[in-house]
Amino acid sequence: MSVDTLVAEARERLVARAKREGLASVGYATFTTDLGPLWIAVGPRGVLTIHYGPEPGVSELARLVRAYGPGVVPDEKRVSPVASQVEQYLSRRRQRFDLDVDLRGLTPFQRRILRATARVPYGELTTYADVARRAGSGRATRAAGAALGANPVPIVVPCHRVVASDGSLGGYAGGLRTKRRLLALEREGDVPKGGWPPARR
Amino acid sequence: MITTFGELLERYEREIMAYALRLTGDRDDADDVYQETFLAAFRAWPPPRRGQERAWLYRIATNKVIDRARRERRLVRLGDLALAAPERGSSVTRIDLARAIERLPAGQRAAFVLRHVQGLPYAEVAAALDCSEDAARSRVSEATRKVRVRIA
Repeated sequence: MSVDTLVAEARERLVARAKREGLASVGYATFTTDLGPLWIAVGPRGVLTIHYGPEPGVSELARLVRAYGPGVVPDEKRVSPVASQVEQYLSRRRQRFDLDVDLRGLTPFQRRILRATARVPYGELTTYADVARRAGSGRATRAAGAALGANPVPIVVPCHRVVASDGSLGGYAGGLRTKRRLLALEREGDVPKGGWPPARR
Repeated sequence: MITTFGELLERYEREIMAYALRLTGDRDDADDVYQETFLAAFRAWPPPRRGQERAWLYRIATNKVIDRARRERRLVRLGDLALAAPERGSSVTRIDLARAIERLPAGQRAAFVLRHVQGLPYAEVAAALDCSEDAARSRVSEATRKVRVRIA
């Protein structure tokens, strides 16, 4: 038996004990998907983070710590139901996510924008201006774009369905290639052309 | 900067497990030391000094090992009372390095392993043992002297 195996087993027991003692409230794990590695965190109220990449950025971790303290621990078992729904979505076996999303640590405006975005149905498109309007802040188009750019739970809160009013793709935290790919998956290849809207080129 | 238990674990758990294995020489004991060390760290969070999490973990782990060694010594003494079997005669076997380290008192064993096996600088050995750097040097040198004598 190698030290790595020993550590993996010991870690599983440690995390279980820390959870029982109330020392660990958020579990995370990295999963490999067709879109590359995704770092996913789940807390007591639902999915907190889906990050494109093997590990989160400083600001993403800071949000988790602000909301739930330092008890953020590796916990593959806890995260795997989320990962499997994402996997089903990416292989066209799921159109809606049966998951609670936890937007704690975000501003009320960000939460309104993300909730409005969560209501955009599978395969449909909307614009930053429209999302801002639906969130009750019709003139805050640019701020809506920024809130969506900082969406902590992409894919599940489908910010890829939001594009610029001129029909160009706008931006995406996972990169425009990923945005195009997700839209192609949902819309059978019918994807808006172009990248950033002219003002941001 | 480390802000979560997960980061602390991912960065140091392998090192602490290896240290516990070297000090206890037993997989189950090492597992216990690993569990107790990290649980104690989680309970006592935040670390006393930011940026010195490693030395802090070594200090906790070293104390856990020393506590265990003290408990076990008591158990052995109790066992000694019941020794009624005829003496088997001491068959002196080859004393290798591992055995020599194993026979050091727990504090000196920790000093030796921290310095010569884990390769920590004296400042970190001192922080892990919660003593001055001079005291750390003298513990390491005393342990090294004993090991040399035993393997000679």
